[in-house]
Amino acid sequence: MKEDGPSPDRFRILVCIDGSDESYRGLKYAVKLGGGVDADIVMLYVRPIDQGLRSGGLQVRVARENMLDWGLELPGIQVLKKGWEMLREIEHFEDDWTTETVHTDVAGDPLGDNKIDYTNKLGRKVVLKLKVADDIATGILEQWEIGEYDLIILGAPEEKRGLARALIDPPIAEKVAMNASCSVLVARGLEVGHGHLICTDGTERSLEMVSKDAMLASRCNCAISLISVTADVEGEAEAKTYLNDARSVIEEFEVEIEDMLSPVGDPVEEIIEAGANYSVIVVSESSRSGMERLLVGSVAKRVLRKAHNSVLVVR
Amino acid sequence: MNLYYFWEKRWFFIAMLVGSIMLQLPVPNGLTPEGMVVLTMSVMATILFITEPVPLPTVALLIIVGQVLLLGLQSTDVARSLMTDSVLFIMGSLMLAVAVVKQKLDKRIAWLIVRLTGTKTANVAFGITLVSGLLASFVGEHTVAAMMLPVGITLITLTSDNPKKVRNLAAVLLFSISYGCSIASIGTPSGGARNAIMIGYWNEFFFDPTSPETRKFLVDYLDWMLHAYPIFLMQIPFVTFILLKTFRPEYRDLSRAVVKLRHQVEETGPMKGADWMSILLFVLILYGWVFHSASLGMGTIAIMGAAGFLIVGLVRWEDMNSGVNWGVVLLYAAAISLGVQMKMTGAAAWVASSFLDILSGINAEDGVALWGAVSVLTTGVTNMMSNGAAVAVLGPIMLKLAVAAEESPLLIGFVTSISSSFAYLTVVGTPACTIVFASGYLKTTDFLKVGWKMVVMSTIVMLSVAAIYWPIVGI
Repeated sequence: MKEDGPSPDRFRILVCIDGSDESYRGLKYAVKLGGGVDADIVMLYVRPIDQGLRSGGLQVRVARENMLDWGLELPGIQVLKKGWEMLREIEHFEDDWTTETVHTDVAGDPLGDNKIDYTNKLGRKVVLKLKVADDIATGILEQWEIGEYDLIILGAPEEKRGLARALIDPPIAEKVAMNASCSVLVARGLEVGHGHLICTDGTERSLEMVSKDAMLASRCNCAISLISVTADVEGEAEAKTYLNDARSVIEEFEVEIEDMLSPVGDPVEEIIEAGANYSVIVVSESSRSGMERLLVGSVAKRVLRKAHNSVLVVR
Repeated sequence: MNLYYFWEKRWFFIAMLVGSIMLQLPVPNGLTPEGMVVLTMSVMATILFITEPVPLPTVALLIIVGQVLLLGLQSTDVARSLMTDSVLFIMGSLMLAVAVVKQKLDKRIAWLIVRLTGTKTANVAFGITLVSGLLASFVGEHTVAAMMLPVGITLITLTSDNPKKVRNLAAVLLFSISYGCSIASIGTPSGGARNAIMIGYWNEFFFDPTSPETRKFLVDYLDWMLHAYPIFLMQIPFVTFILLKTFRPEYRDLSRAVVKLRHQVEETGPMKGADWMSILLFVLILYGWVFHSASLGMGTIAIMGAAGFLIVGLVRWEDMNSGVNWGVVLLYAAAISLGVQMKMTGAAAWVASSFLDILSGINAEDGVALWGAVSVLTTGVTNMMSNGAAVAVLGPIMLKLAVAAEESPLLIGFVTSISSSFAYLTVVGTPACTIVFASGYLKTTDFLKVGWKMVVMSTIVMLSVAAIYWPIVGI
């Protein structure tokens, strides 16, 4: 569907905004990755569907209609508008944007989805979208189906959650990162300017990922460092060759390479420790699929869960 | 078909698996085979209630199907067991809730609150809790939460446009509404569906028309209020205190917002005929509940009221139809019918005696320790699922527990249904919490942060009332 604009050649970023500082940092990073001029940005706020089962049988819509009568806006509108203002400020937008407002009915919710499309003369688009969905992760993933994105950016959950709760309901960021079909950046204290740390294990898949991230890094002029972890000392030479392979891929993009690390130890822990010095840790989704992935849990997933800073899962 | 579908629905398959394993197990000593089936169905229903892999009304449908297929009951008998006075009451009071919210009396109430309390944040919070509570105890918590939510948000947005600057203030005001409604919902039988369910269970389990001794199990409106209302009133000051201590609002004074709100409210002009009419109708319904619920049934009076609003034309049927989630009515009907089966097959008594064995292991087999155990268990369950369903499922077990432990079923029943309102920890716990969460101002962690203090406070208040005050009024 071409709901969010037919521009396949453009770089498109979906930024999930929930009003937290982290999500606005993600937006700033999106601007940087977008290279400042040519990326389309879709800001998305997902509102859980108003449903009455949990509210003891009185539909939440009764409360919602009452709120609208008082002239109160839906949650999320303020938050999205703030994102738009921020974008205008950072990029010094001219006032040459045309706007278009679109409303889509959604079964089960009286207010449905709402969005504002901003388009400038050059055809660049910024979309503010207020979406309802059964839960937030599903909403974000469904939004993927409507338009093609190159990257999804969302904030990591700030809250610490119990194990039991995590089993019943995995954190939103994890659910999106594992199920989206494009790269996902999970922002956690995201700071611009410390470069990317790319993890590689020499497989073709990971080299592919290296080139993808090199492309991203070249957009934002971010420095790249490489890491390949081996279980024991004998593997070190092998790791070095992996790193060199990766380096030759990156050089095509004319991106600066800062460090090449080949520590020995548990991959997840080494990556997290080394990654703390960088803006973003870059991992690739492993080749496992389906049930296997759900049960075993890839390195990517574990890094995503345990890292102290932002993680980019590349696809 | 992909694996993700199965992963999303995994709890449904786990529930089915647990069910089929339980049915293959040898029936434990003291339990009938039918009891085992009902117990299995309750366990499966509870798993599904908590994890929600399928829409909740589906569980209700499955309970009905299970009673016919697994238990071998006649379809007509199952159908008959679905509608009781409690279910009628739930249905009627939901329709009334929509009718009341549609009357737009919220601006009047807001005006009343700010007139009463002045502009200090602490006083406004107390006023909101008090007024929301007093109303909710009669009208039902969801009704008042829906009515008061715009008042709270208006006060917040008039204070500052930036949600970050008023985060704590928002938490205090919105929780004042939801906790005010929650603590009040135990006050009268019409405060919450679970109270009506418990009254229905007492009647069903213990009342025997031939024995005058058992007349005390016909609890009427005033009886209930006599026992429960003081608990609500005692909690009000604590709610405001706990909220102010936990969140420390950014503004100690709300003069700016209050003045603007007063202005907004005054625009609506004096009370009109329709406003008086709706108040009169509600007073009549209340009169019916208080003085005639014993003979007419609370459900009859509730639907009489709903009919009244429709006849006078104060609400359109379309509004009622779209405002009530009929799935909830179905859900309660099925849960109560399962609860009754728990009793009939002896499953409730069996679980109760097993539970009592565990309790006597920790010296909690009688007195305040037992009440505390009942309360803690109910609180745990109610935080994970809707509190009406919690009482419908736990009620029969707790009442049989009372019999086995030789405690008063009235007392244990009160403790169970009052504890079921201690669902302060999660968004799904009580209707009022779900509704204020829809404002978008609160985070799920806020509920945990303040909720545990509320649970401790409410439990202490309830147990002291049970130990000191209830013996005076005759339990």
